[in-house]
Amino acid sequence: MKFLARGQTTRSDQGKPSPSQCRRIRRRLVDSMLRRVGPEAPWVQRHVAHCPRCQKRLAGLGKVDLALSIIKSQPHRLDLLMRANSAAMRMLNHDAREATAAKELEQARPEPCFVERCGRYRNPVTNVAACIAILFLTKAGIFSSFDKVHARGEAALKQYYTTQAGEEVAREIFGA
Amino acid sequence: MFNKAVSYDLLWDSAAFEAVDESQRWILAVMRRHGHELVTMLWRILGNEQDVCDAYQTTFLRLAHHEEGLKPKWVKAYLFRAASNTALSMLRQRIAERKALSSVVQTADDTQDVQIDINVKHLTENLRYHVAQLPEHLRNVIMLRDFGELSYAEVARIMGISVGTARVYRCKAVQLLATWMNREADQ
Repeated sequence: MKFLARGQTTRSDQGKPSPSQCRRIRRRLVDSMLRRVGPEAPWVQRHVAHCPRCQKRLAGLGKVDLALSIIKSQPHRLDLLMRANSAAMRMLNHDAREATAAKELEQARPEPCFVERCGRYRNPVTNVAACIAILFLTKAGIFSSFDKVHARGEAALKQYYTTQAGEEVAREIFGA
Repeated sequence: MFNKAVSYDLLWDSAAFEAVDESQRWILAVMRRHGHELVTMLWRILGNEQDVCDAYQTTFLRLAHHEEGLKPKWVKAYLFRAASNTALSMLRQRIAERKALSSVVQTADDTQDVQIDINVKHLTENLRYHVAQLPEHLRNVIMLRDFGELSYAEVARIMGISVGTARVYRCKAVQLLATWMNREADQ
C-alpha cells in the first residue's frame, strides 16, 4: 500500500490535469464567489440599499463603465482609416508611396472581422441546425419508442390470445 | 561659415533620411495589418478625427525612424505604445488648452449661474481627462485593454508584466477613475 505525502493527491501520480480543467474550475470558483460576495449577492444589495457611501462608490463605478461603453460604441467615419493612411503615407519615401500596397491602403476601409461578417448568418444557421437536431431526435428517439411500444403491445396481445383462445389460434393470428 | 554649417547639417539630415528611407515597404504591411486597430484605439482616446490622423501619422513616422529604420522586435507592441503615448500628449495638450479657455469663459459665465447638464459628451470627455491623469502603469492598461481592445495576455506582454498584474492594474485604474469622477460630481 502506498501512502501519500501531505499535500500529495492521487491525481498527481497520474500526471498533471489539463489547462482546460484548471480554467473550468477557475471559472466555476469565480462564478460561485461572485454569487456569494459579488455586487449581485442579496446581502450586498441589502447593505447598499441603506449605505450612502457604498451607493456612491457603486454609482462611480457605474459611471466609469457607462463612459467606457459610450466611448467604445461611438463610431468614427468610414473614411477615417483611409485619411489616416494617406496622412501617414506622406511621411514615407517615394518608393513606398508608389507601391501597389500603398494605393490599396489609401482606399482601405475598416472591414469587420470574419466572425462579425458571419454574424448575420447566425440566426438562419441556428434555425437550420435546430431543425436538423429535431429531425434527428424524432427519427432516433420517438420512432424507436413507437417501435418498442408496438412490439410490446403485440407481445401482450399474443399472450392474451394464448391464454384465452389457445396457442394455435394465437399463432394463426400473429404468425410464427 | 555659419551658412556652410547649416548646409552641411542639411546634407547630413538628407543623407540620414535617405538611409532611413532604404526599405520602408515593411511599414505598409504593418499599416495594413494593424492600421484599423490603431485607428480605433486613437479614436477612442482622442475622440477627434483630425487628432487621430495626426497621431497616426506621428506614430508611423516614429516607426519609420526607429533605430535608423530598423524594424522593432515586436512591431505591434512598439506601435501601440507609441500611438498611446502620442495620443496622451495630444490629449494633455488639449486639456491644458481647454482649461485655459474655460478659465476665460468661467469669468463671463459666473454671473449667469449656468446649470451644466451631464450629457454624453461631458461624461466621455471627463473620463478621457481622468485617464490622462492616471499613473503611467494604470493608464497604459486602460488604454491598451479598453481603448485598444487587446487581450490581457497581449497587454501583459507589451507592458512586461504578468496577466494577473494586468488585471489588477485595470481594476485599480477603474476604482481610481470612479473615485475621481465622484469627487468631481460632488464639487
